[in-house]
Amino acid sequence: MSSEPIRIVLAKVGLDGHDRGIKVVARALRDAGFHVIYAGLWQTVESVVRTVADEDADWLGISILSGAHMTLVPQIMEALRHAGLDHVGVIVGGIIPEADVPKLMEMGVARVFGPGTPMHEIVEFVQSRRSAAHA
Amino acid sequence: MPDTPWEALRRGDRRALARCITQVASGHNLETVRSLGPPVKPARVVAITGSGGVGKSTLIGKLIEQLRHQGRTVAVLACDPESPLTGGALLGDRFRMGSTVDDGVYIRSLAASPGRQAIADHLDAIIRICEEFGFDVVIVETVGAGQGDTAVRSWADLVVLLLQPETGDELQWEKAGVLEVADLIVIHKADLPGAERAAQQVRSALELSGGTTVPVLLVSSRTGKGIAELADRLESLPLRSRHGDAVHAFLDEARRFLDNRLRQPGVAEALDLWRAGHIDIQEALQKLLADPANNRHRNGVASS
Repeated sequence: MSSEPIRIVLAKVGLDGHDRGIKVVARALRDAGFHVIYAGLWQTVESVVRTVADEDADWLGISILSGAHMTLVPQIMEALRHAGLDHVGVIVGGIIPEADVPKLMEMGVARVFGPGTPMHEIVEFVQSRRSAAHA
Repeated sequence: MPDTPWEALRRGDRRALARCITQVASGHNLETVRSLGPPVKPARVVAITGSGGVGKSTLIGKLIEQLRHQGRTVAVLACDPESPLTGGALLGDRFRMGSTVDDGVYIRSLAASPGRQAIADHLDAIIRICEEFGFDVVIVETVGAGQGDTAVRSWADLVVLLLQPETGDELQWEKAGVLEVADLIVIHKADLPGAERAAQQVRSALELSGGTTVPVLLVSSRTGKGIAELADRLESLPLRSRHGDAVHAFLDEARRFLDNRLRQPGVAEALDLWRAGHIDIQEALQKLLADPANNRHRNGVASS
């Protein structure tokens, strides 16, 4: 690879223990040449933001299947801003009702990926937005 | 931007630390790191090595807790392999090190490019950045390689090799390259059966190779057994590897010095005088080591 690899933190916030989806995404991004920092299950908002900061990540991918997204995502976006990490792109995956998607985007989420999203769609989205994230 | 990340690094800015490491890991600003010179407060640099699945990340998580308990600040540089085909990497070590938010702990995942011996590129410079920030201890987790990753010795103060019970017969320990790199050997997962026997086998293999001073500890991250003792040993063991590098640097310089002196006029003359028995070897060596500028001066005085 001629350019530096994109660094993306993948994490599950909150208490649901379903990590198969995020692991599949992790593998797809790895195979597409990303450096994937896998933070895993049961992360707190604080620990996720700390990980993004310390790893100097370009992107944060959050998977939430518990239904707590309207509580957790605003907290994460606020904590990122507070830490001066506005340049970090955020994507959200999991079970997100259609009606909540525009609200999440309004909070600054770059894109929401629901169940059944083809992996190449996620890969291409993050790759295409790389420069935007660094602008 | 009021100042560069490098200035901010010295002020203890954590974001700057992360940014500087990114730059150096991809080969930028290496001169800036070199220009820092030797650290004001050198960190104790500990490499944790051993094959995949032996529990390196989990043990490091426990070590972090213990070292923090003792008031030490800790940086962890966790190396995982990068695909030679895609350049991609799945860096999954920090997940097993716990997720507490603590200003005294910095964990950074690094990709080790293919062909490097189990460590990330420019690791020495990355370690130097952690020292500049002021960490007391820098722990480097190598790629889970095991046999042959002897490169760890050149930049770590201490190399800790992790082994686990039931990993083959005693002949495995006799293979060259694995036990030799270690300053300390940990039989991890010591709550499992066979740990004591593995420790005995390793000790006897070490005795055969003459390396009897290498301590072998039984440690279990699950029960906590041996963690405190391991942390104590990391503090108390004499440092040698990086000092070993200093010895090599000194010897290189000494060789250059001698090569230079051997080409000076007067040395051949001294050799002839010694061979003819006019002077003894100590006198000949004195002439070799004498500063040629002084010789010229003395000769000049003598001839006038």
